[in-house]
Amino acid sequence: MENANEDTNKIKVGDFVIVQRQGYTKLHKIKAQSNLILGSFHIEMDNVIGERYFDTFQMKNTSNSKKFYTLEKVNEVNSVVESLNIEKSGTDNRHIQVNAESQGLSKEDIDKLKDEQFGSSNIVEQLVNNSKTFNMKTEYSQEKYLKKKEKKYFEYIVIRRPTIRLLAQMFYRQDPTKTLGIRVDDLSQILNHANIHPEGNHLLYDSGTSGLLPAAITNLIGSKTEGHLIHMHPGNECQKNAFMAMQFPQEQVERCTNVNLYSVLRCFYQNKDSYKKTQDTEIDNSCEEPAQKKIKVEDGEEQLPKKSWQIDNERACRILSNRVDSLIITSKEHPVNITKELLQFLNGNRQFVVFNILKEPLMDLYNYLKSREDIISIRLCNNFMRNYQVLPERTHPEVNMCSGGYILTAYKLSC
Amino acid sequence: MSFEGYKDVIEEGDSVILYLTITQVYCVKAQPKIVNKKGNLVDNVFQTPFGALKCFDLIGKYYGSKISLSKGWGYVMQPNPELWTITLPHRTQIIYTPDISMIVLQLEISPGSVVIESGTGSGSLSHALIRAVKPHGHLHTFDFHEDRVKTARDEFQEHGFGKYVTVKHHDVCVNGFGDDLDNKADAVFLDLPHPWLAIPHTVKSFKDTGGRICSFSPCIEQVQKSCLILSKYGFQEIQTTEVLQTQYSVQQRTLPVLNLECLKVSKEEAELEKQIKRDVTKVMSAIPPASVPGHTGYLTFATMPPVWARNVQLNLSDIDDCNNE
Ligand SMILES: C[S@@+](CC[C@H](N)C(=O)[O-])C[C@H]1O[C@@H](n2cnc3c(N)ncnc32)[C@H](O)[C@@H]1O
Repeated sequence: MENANEDTNKIKVGDFVIVQRQGYTKLHKIKAQSNLILGSFHIEMDNVIGERYFDTFQMKNTSNSKKFYTLEKVNEVNSVVESLNIEKSGTDNRHIQVNAESQGLSKEDIDKLKDEQFGSSNIVEQLVNNSKTFNMKTEYSQEKYLKKKEKKYFEYIVIRRPTIRLLAQMFYRQDPTKTLGIRVDDLSQILNHANIHPEGNHLLYDSGTSGLLPAAITNLIGSKTEGHLIHMHPGNECQKNAFMAMQFPQEQVERCTNVNLYSVLRCFYQNKDSYKKTQDTEIDNSCEEPAQKKIKVEDGEEQLPKKSWQIDNERACRILSNRVDSLIITSKEHPVNITKELLQFLNGNRQFVVFNILKEPLMDLYNYLKSREDIISIRLCNNFMRNYQVLPERTHPEVNMCSGGYILTAYKLSC
Repeated sequence: MSFEGYKDVIEEGDSVILYLTITQVYCVKAQPKIVNKKGNLVDNVFQTPFGALKCFDLIGKYYGSKISLSKGWGYVMQPNPELWTITLPHRTQIIYTPDISMIVLQLEISPGSVVIESGTGSGSLSHALIRAVKPHGHLHTFDFHEDRVKTARDEFQEHGFGKYVTVKHHDVCVNGFGDDLDNKADAVFLDLPHPWLAIPHTVKSFKDTGGRICSFSPCIEQVQKSCLILSKYGFQEIQTTEVLQTQYSVQQRTLPVLNLECLKVSKEEAELEKQIKRDVTKVMSAIPPASVPGHTGYLTFATMPPVWARNVQLNLSDIDDCNNE
């Protein structure tokens, strides 16, 4: 057990990791000899293999090319602000002229510095020494200047194990459409209002959140539990970046069944025999014998072996016919007919949640649900989320804010 | 036992959610008799705006079904942490679902996690934490108020959550969380008037692999103090955030439409062409309530790195400063 623990903290080939450079994060799959492009940096990732999660690495120039960096594990980091010895500060900015050429170093000079020995402390020190206005700046704006420059030339990265929080923030930050506009607070409320927990069967229709929704639900269903997720998607293949990144144990992965919305519903309506009958066959299949031999029709005639998507469809249909305990719909499409269709699979006395980036489709849904007698407690809401900078004497809301989407929640009655 | 598992039928002793309207939701006990103030055993009757409910009548009813009241009807539902939060008896200020959801996600809690909470208060958050850690994890929740500890313990037991939670009577600012929790926790949550006094005690409770912390505070001064202490004790990714929710009511509104066309012709002509009639139009709208909560509390999150990374102090958040120089 100890050993196993030790192992899971080690970064291995095949792992998905989140590379973090200050607030910036990127998902990366570790291969033997792989490179990562992080902004304008090309980084050789080999040196992280065998080290541990949350270790810090310094980006070092490689001799051969200027844009390429290798990583070196470090046990301490230099902070620009602390290492610089600032001699003089102004009391206000009255002497600072707007357009004056204040930096003595040219862009070429800076590039050269970058290529010779990349690193914030080194470059920022040079910038400060060559700045004509630095000493005139107030202490406060000196610090701000340093932080800004440090950020630009920051040479440290941390390797993190992916979590739902890090993934949700990363996708949203890269591009909110990657998660259909679902912000981390939206995600948290979708999961809570749907009462996702390790028991029961959960149903999701997701038209594309980079795998974030199925990953987050599977994460809450947990490993070594009984819960099951049916993940319906509109395409041939479902999006699974976030799901893969979470690297769930196999038994947990197997409790998420990915099915195409159309094909599973077609199977449900038009192929009832297939999933009612194969229940036993499937159990047999698990005992190592090749699937081909098993599936024969009554008169002994050989049939084509079932494709894995057919088996998934049938498994999903079996669960659907016994009904599910929660329903989540995160769709790009108009939600009314999808909800109408999928609600039949939801047990009574259970809740469901529908997310949309727009309010109007959910208003339509609200009106539709109101007209049904078996739906109560219909709520439509949206969230305001804002982050704060908290620093002594300088606490304020962050400058940038983003607007989230809309969440509809309701309960279905039993009769 | 009405939070654990899914139930079809109400049994004696169950806590049952009675839903009348969106703003009239209650939690009642399916118990035929209760002891009244005089110490006598009497029929358990719950008064609702739609008339009295004899709690005895609940037993045997299906969850999710309609029940009649003398002046109307209601629906009975199985409780879950969200419904509990809006119906629980308040013994303290409580945390509501928008904040609770954010706390569970940002603390990275999943089945199997070991979580420390203080104070327990009315147990609003605790129920959601227990749902998130079960079946393999555990919640250790602390309060220095003896009655609240006892009531919370009884409630968890009654709700079928007893085996997933330990409620301790303890001043965490003075005594910390106890040696038995050293290196045990994946996450710590604080809702205390002086969180900065408890934060130093949390450090040794974290697993060697590190974990997440959250402190909920209504006032910004508390947040400032907490952030300083968090960074002093080696926490990283310190981030303060606030979540506010607006609930909309979807309504059709009828608006008058002024007829300005009739002004372009003489009165007689307009009358002839029936242009002076009043017009109305219907719009569908999502209307926020006249007053919405403008503040609940600030949520400050941070990460305790694993032991091997605790010496490296690195800024993992963004510097984003808008004050002009
Ligand atoms: C606002 S309530 C918590 C409410 C809770 N989060 C909920 O959602 O129901 C704060 C609780 O902290 C407890 N408390 C305050 N200081 C404490 C301390 N030093 N140690 C333990 N508990 C404390 C109080 O007794 C009170 O019950």
